[in-house]
Amino acid sequence: MKSELIPKKTRILSNFRETSDIFTLILQISGSYMPGQFVQIGIPGIGECPISVASYSKNHLKISIREVGKVTRALGKLRKNSFVYIRGPYGRGYPLVEFQGKCLILIGAGCGVATLKSIIEYIEYHREKYKDILLFFGYRNINDIIYKKEVNKWKNTFNIKIALSKENAKTCLDWDSGHITDVIAELKLRTENTGVFICGPPKMINDTVEILKKKGFNDEQIYVSTERLMYCSIGMCCHCMIRGKFTCTDGPVFRFDEIGYYKND
Amino acid sequence: MKKLKIGFYGITGCAGCQLSVIFEEDELLDIINLIEIQAWPFIKELNYDKKFDYIFMEGLVADNEDKGILLKLRANTRFMVALGACAHTGCIPAYRHFTLKENYAHLLYEKKENIKDIDPNPIDSFVKVDYIIPGCPPDKNEIRSFIKDIVRDIIPKPYNNPVCVECKRNNNSCLLDNKKPCLGPITRGGCNSVCTNNGLECWGCRGPTQQGHKMQS
Amino acid sequence: MNLVVYILKKDVMYDFLLDIKNKFETYVPIKKDITRFKILDNPKDIDFSENSYFPVKEHFFRKKEVIFQFNGSNFLPVELKSKNKIFFGLRRCDLNAIKNQDFIFMKQHNDPYYTSQRKKAVLIGYHCTKALNKYCFCESMNLTDYYDLMLFDKTNYFLVDAKTEKGENLIRKYKKYFKKSNYKISDKDTYIKTRKINKKDISKFYDHKDWDKGINLCLSCSACTEMCPTCYCHEIHDNTEINNPRNAKRIRSWSSCQLKEFTSVAENHTFRDTKEARFKHRIYHQLQYFKERNKINLCTGCGRCITGCPTKIDWVKIINEMR
Repeated sequence: MKSELIPKKTRILSNFRETSDIFTLILQISGSYMPGQFVQIGIPGIGECPISVASYSKNHLKISIREVGKVTRALGKLRKNSFVYIRGPYGRGYPLVEFQGKCLILIGAGCGVATLKSIIEYIEYHREKYKDILLFFGYRNINDIIYKKEVNKWKNTFNIKIALSKENAKTCLDWDSGHITDVIAELKLRTENTGVFICGPPKMINDTVEILKKKGFNDEQIYVSTERLMYCSIGMCCHCMIRGKFTCTDGPVFRFDEIGYYKND
Repeated sequence: MKKLKIGFYGITGCAGCQLSVIFEEDELLDIINLIEIQAWPFIKELNYDKKFDYIFMEGLVADNEDKGILLKLRANTRFMVALGACAHTGCIPAYRHFTLKENYAHLLYEKKENIKDIDPNPIDSFVKVDYIIPGCPPDKNEIRSFIKDIVRDIIPKPYNNPVCVECKRNNNSCLLDNKKPCLGPITRGGCNSVCTNNGLECWGCRGPTQQGHKMQS
Repeated sequence: MNLVVYILKKDVMYDFLLDIKNKFETYVPIKKDITRFKILDNPKDIDFSENSYFPVKEHFFRKKEVIFQFNGSNFLPVELKSKNKIFFGLRRCDLNAIKNQDFIFMKQHNDPYYTSQRKKAVLIGYHCTKALNKYCFCESMNLTDYYDLMLFDKTNYFLVDAKTEKGENLIRKYKKYFKKSNYKISDKDTYIKTRKINKKDISKFYDHKDWDKGINLCLSCSACTEMCPTCYCHEIHDNTEINNPRNAKRIRSWSSCQLKEFTSVAENHTFRDTKEARFKHRIYHQLQYFKERNKINLCTGCGRCITGCPTKIDWVKIINEMR
């Protein structure tokens, strides 16, 4: 019997902590995973959850997970060489091919930075195809920063701005305090030939888009990655529906005008 | 792995909720293997002074002695679980709120002076309650899955679907259509609609669903 | 429509049913307090006076379905047991509802669990002669012919039309009960007069204030979705054995968009938090979203969501009264 709902056994190559509640799994898996897509990862007996891809590589798959529910907490306890069960990749990723030859602004907050990491790795791989890249990362405080090592590396190649919303005292000159939206609001951004990719909590996405609109960006330039409850990921269970669109198969990356104004759906 | 230290206690109530744990006959031994039952007035000593991980508290506070026991146990446990409708909402004993004392005082025992009662209230009006297992009596499947979750270090999720969900799945005819006052649509399910399966109206023992109703008078 | 139709006399029908009962699990509408599809015992119990209160959805898209079993390291195959079933006396709306679910589970997705149940079932329809109750509205839902056999009630006898191989085979096998006829089934036979929805496209009414008439009465009890013959939303949960937590089952079960839990994610965020959004979501999914994607109405106009509603929210009336 074949069913799309039966996952594949996958070995964990390593599991390490990014912060106190976010960990990264490296999985032994081959295949191509586009930035913005997601996989269903789970442990039979506990459950499954959708997690976005955080790497661009053909040989392995990296995902970063915040411990919030029973599945993620159980995944965090797994050690190297144990197994997880995954399905995927699912969904439509960021339109990176469409934006070749243009500038990109990537805005992420919290765990959303993980999704952006896959975009950045994609861009690093195809660096000559893109013009200026601007990165905005928002975190709660200094201990919440994920990918510290990578961020330091990216500083050399990209323009990067980091904001910490809950850190009052400026501990280091590199960070701005306040929300990432405040940092964006203060800057002057060039709007023509630019795409904006956003990933983060729902409220942050709404605030950011509002600011970007004021700066003259239009809906076609803004792409957001949405989060919904999902069970099947193949467009069957309907939990992820946003006004008739399935987040799992039509998304999770939507052009803002496709879903943007439906805050309650 | 260290076993969880668990206690079952009852204050004012009928003790039916503790019984419904014992009614888990088929899997009771499996459950006992998973946990360390440190106190259970039915089958074991009271051990009021030991430390607990979880205390399943049945019944409601109806006098100062109850209150004393409850506060003492809360101080000794990591988590407090309200077991059954009395602990959760007050249930039948709390009906006293709807009437005056002189209306029922003459019905009481002769030695009523010895009873130093206070206004009956569910336990969460005195102490912090971490989890609720609702129902009068609670469903044994729910108790089992609760214990199954806590021993695996999973935070149990409250079941929040209305009784209508289960009642329709059991292919019952709607009691409201037969002009019977059924509280199913607004009551939290999980009971497998046991009352309505047998033609009795749901009387809401499991408390309201949290689906965002507005009360209309 | 086939050129050849058959005649099944009403008194012969009882013998026919008793005969197929030996080979098939035969479900017929039986009225007790309400009409339900039940396994045939005595053919005289059959009652065509009203539609069954519950749809037959649960026989194909089951309330609980084990997707897989797991023993700690390997997936164990799930035995997909199914029986030869005959459903006798399905209405046109329910047949179309099965068509929609076939489309979802068999065409769009290749769902082995649904398919295994559905493949062995024979659907025998009973054509309504008039609207069954004041709530149904199938006339405006563009229903099509989707059945193995369909019975048209002609007071003393039934005209039987076979649509599929399965239906033809059944008639061939039990041919002693059927007589050939030259009757041509026309629109007159297939027309059912019901009330209608007077709007083709409800998309621009999303923010209409009249929705409040329904929303204010809604209790979010999800009786409507539980009784709907087409609702196919489901959730997937895991279950383990108490003495051996490594033995697990993943179970698919029905779920309802009318409940908050339907869209709540980690950290207690609920996307469709308001009753308004949930109420409209169901109606728009039935009438608009599904049509946009697949060019067919998901709703088939059986009216069960209104008959089953504790507060009898007549959303068709609400839509019709919108200006």
